[in-house]
Amino acid sequence: MKIVVCIKQVPATGADKRYTDDLRLDREGVEAIINPLDEYAIEQALRLVDDGTVESVTYLSMGPEQASEALRRALAMGGDEAVLVTDPALAGADEWATAKVLAAALDKLAPDVALMGMASDDARGSLVPGAVAAMRDLPLLSYGAELVLADGSARVRRLSATGYDWISAPLPVVATVTDQVGEPRYASLKGIMAAKRKPLETWSLDDLGLTGDELRGAALTRVTDARPPEEKSPTERLENLPAAEAATKIADWLAARKLI
Amino acid sequence: MTYLPTADHDELRAMVRELAEERIAPRAAQIDESGEFPMDLRELLAQQDLLGTCFEERHGGTGLDTIAQSIVVEEIARVDATTSLIPIVQKLGALPIILAGSAEQQDRYLPRLASGEWLVAFALTEAAAGSDVASNRMRATRDGDDYVLNGSKRFITHGSVADLLTVFALTDPGAGGTKGMSAFVMEADTPGFAAPRVEHKMGIRGSPTAELTFDDVRVPAANRLGAEGEGFKIAMATLDRSRLSIAAQAVGIAQGALDAAVSYAADRQQFGERVVDFQGIQWMLADMTSTNEAARQLTYAAAARVDASAADLPYWTSSAKLVAGDVAMRVTTDAVQILGGYGYIAEYPVERMMRDAKITQLYEGTQQIQRLIVARQLLARAGVSKRG
Amino acid sequence: MSNDILFFAEFSAGKPARSALELAAGAAELASQSGGAAVALAYGPGAADGAAGLGAHGAARAVVLGDEDRPAITYAPAAVAAARDGGLAVLAPATPNGRDLAAALVGTLHLPAFGPVRSARMRDGTLETEQATLQGSVITTSTPAEGAPTPSVVLVLANTFTPVEGGSGSAEVSQASGAEKSAFTKATVAESHEADARVVNLEEASIIVAGGRGVGGEEGFAPLRDLAAALGGAVGASRAAADAGWIPYQLQIGQTGKVVKPSLYIGAGISGAIQHRVGMQTAEHVVAINRDPDAPIGEFADLFVVGDLFQIIPALTEEIRRRKEA
Repeated sequence: MKIVVCIKQVPATGADKRYTDDLRLDREGVEAIINPLDEYAIEQALRLVDDGTVESVTYLSMGPEQASEALRRALAMGGDEAVLVTDPALAGADEWATAKVLAAALDKLAPDVALMGMASDDARGSLVPGAVAAMRDLPLLSYGAELVLADGSARVRRLSATGYDWISAPLPVVATVTDQVGEPRYASLKGIMAAKRKPLETWSLDDLGLTGDELRGAALTRVTDARPPEEKSPTERLENLPAAEAATKIADWLAARKLI
Repeated sequence: MTYLPTADHDELRAMVRELAEERIAPRAAQIDESGEFPMDLRELLAQQDLLGTCFEERHGGTGLDTIAQSIVVEEIARVDATTSLIPIVQKLGALPIILAGSAEQQDRYLPRLASGEWLVAFALTEAAAGSDVASNRMRATRDGDDYVLNGSKRFITHGSVADLLTVFALTDPGAGGTKGMSAFVMEADTPGFAAPRVEHKMGIRGSPTAELTFDDVRVPAANRLGAEGEGFKIAMATLDRSRLSIAAQAVGIAQGALDAAVSYAADRQQFGERVVDFQGIQWMLADMTSTNEAARQLTYAAAARVDASAADLPYWTSSAKLVAGDVAMRVTTDAVQILGGYGYIAEYPVERMMRDAKITQLYEGTQQIQRLIVARQLLARAGVSKRG
Repeated sequence: MSNDILFFAEFSAGKPARSALELAAGAAELASQSGGAAVALAYGPGAADGAAGLGAHGAARAVVLGDEDRPAITYAPAAVAAARDGGLAVLAPATPNGRDLAAALVGTLHLPAFGPVRSARMRDGTLETEQATLQGSVITTSTPAEGAPTPSVVLVLANTFTPVEGGSGSAEVSQASGAEKSAFTKATVAESHEADARVVNLEEASIIVAGGRGVGGEEGFAPLRDLAAALGGAVGASRAAADAGWIPYQLQIGQTGKVVKPSLYIGAGISGAIQHRVGMQTAEHVVAINRDPDAPIGEFADLFVVGDLFQIIPALTEEIRRRKEA
């Protein structure tokens, strides 16, 4: 069985992030990491290798040349090879264009499962997995706390309002997993060294049979304004008060705002 | 030969730093207070292949260069000196086998050390033979296909938790320590061997420093490293290399203390200003960082020479350990000073770092021994003949 | 081109989800601005019978995508067919099911996607949305690009729109036209497990008392439950508490849990790391109680109380009960 894990390189949480003058996300010069939620997808794929269900794991990413760093970090955790799709025409690609490129690459790689994390840290792009499934006409198994493969089908355990369900579909599928998969493993030193020797291919749009024209200017939405959030009024602090007095002051505060 | 760290070294540093900050740093204060050996961190380091850095790939290690090994030790020591001793002693105990063991002995022992499955200790020092190694008294008497070991050792790091030990004993007491000593490999579960006591120490409190007793301990002759009488030479060759790990440890401890001092001073306000803005404090910080940087760069320069098998290796490694140990003691003391009263209490890490730093001036050859070595190397270079 | 505003209305156990009612109100508001009608896309058990009732909540029409208890994604083909019939926008809740359906629309029909938005309106005949990006550090305003296909797909956070109260009227109900063949329908529920306790849907709560690592254990949540009861609110938690097994995962608030927008959020023993913050930062009033005066939550709370939650919370509960009885 073969899994392809789609990962994205994003700015580090807490790093200064900005929009450029032409209102695109400015990714230059900011420390970049694997989208933390993708690490759970990597961990899930590697667990399936550990238990013998899956033989091969490939990582796929779409981004600038620099995104190969994220792919090497993924390879350091485990897995066999990586593919980076990079092309100048993809700068500023929106979710649809991203999905189109990933879908084309996945069709070429033809895995049993195309696995992703649940959202990306920066642009909150949670629609890519479902869009990829739609474009490839494959079942979507999303928001899994766990992924299991058996007898030609895949199952995810998905939380419901009142418990959980196991949702199943025949392979091949597109699946996403959440952080409930469990802590992603650290890359060991041998993993880091081995990652340098694992194959990492670079594909352009040509290799996928796509043109810049169909994707360029494919942004269907326009950002017309970007501004910092409203100034919050300063925090009121209560410190070193006996519990009863603190309770009274909190209750007064709530009452003043008609919350009690 | 270059000793500028490469991009690979930087990547390694980042990896170890992340691990150290996330998993080791939170445990440091507790380890110091309880004096427990951090078995969980030993397993973590083994899992992350960080105990195999000095072993070659054919033995299951990662065969990193000496600069890289120093970086690993430095980054761990930065958050916890006790834990940094785990890779340090793994190398120290294994070096006799690496330097003097036969191919068969290496294949027999090194893989389990590289994987971290077994811990190894270096048993040379005795109660009455510290700096004066040659006055070792423990005996190894040949008896058929075995040697029988009798005697005791003191101040052996990890002696009570090691699975394997490299032990030095006199096979020819009459010939004196420098010519009559031999080196052996011994498994800890050999009958007659015991670790009856561990010391209560000023610092590196989570690292067990043990007294070892050998009571008619039988070790097969096949476990002897090198020829009879080569023990002293093997021990010295080992220490010439292993003391560089102590230099790296000292650099790391000092860096941790420096970082803590900067962070505290940037936050703390007195007399309406941040402490870090006072010129007097800035001068202290400048001295701390420039001297530690010098120690670090000297350590890397020595590391490069180790890899190049330089003929004057001891000049470099002893200089590095000498400088780094003394710098670490000064830097950690100054760090406590910068934190003032808060530097003295256990709520902040610098008092522990100061207590931990002291050992770098003592073990693997005291600073006084290092000075003797450096002086001899200097005089040899200058062509000054030995005292007649 | 139709000016209708479509919205997903999920039904379960015969009743519409709160998100359905919120989106109905939102769609009605937008429709009044666009000059079209609010059209529900209803699915799930009870949708057939309940669709008409959405009229009291703002829907002019309702298309029933299906009535069975099956994964929401299996209704995507029917939703696609309905979207092809025309409309200016489709509102979907920013929940797992809503995102799945929204993604299916975007992928199949190549539609503009927005959100999760914190507001949406028509400006000069064009849809305009506002959303927080980069973990709340930048607020952007967006519109569809010139000549973009319709409808736009808009993910909407809970509590963005307020359900209509005391409305009347009945939506005009129709059945979905033939759904296209699609692999989405191959997903089935293989097993279903109910938890022992019924958990409140936090996304619908207007008062939440949340506990984090500082609560220390399952029993530590008891005073928080008392306070929540006294306030008439729900109990939530940070990821640390959920990972430790102190409360069920359904109560986890944060980046990978629920995103909530209550009018009052009280966080006890929660440090306020960014992953939790993004789940509750749009709460109207934030009160935090923590022993650590430097906890990050102290920077964005409206009221930060430094102290022992095990002393302050019971005292607060008692004070509130006293005032309510008076």
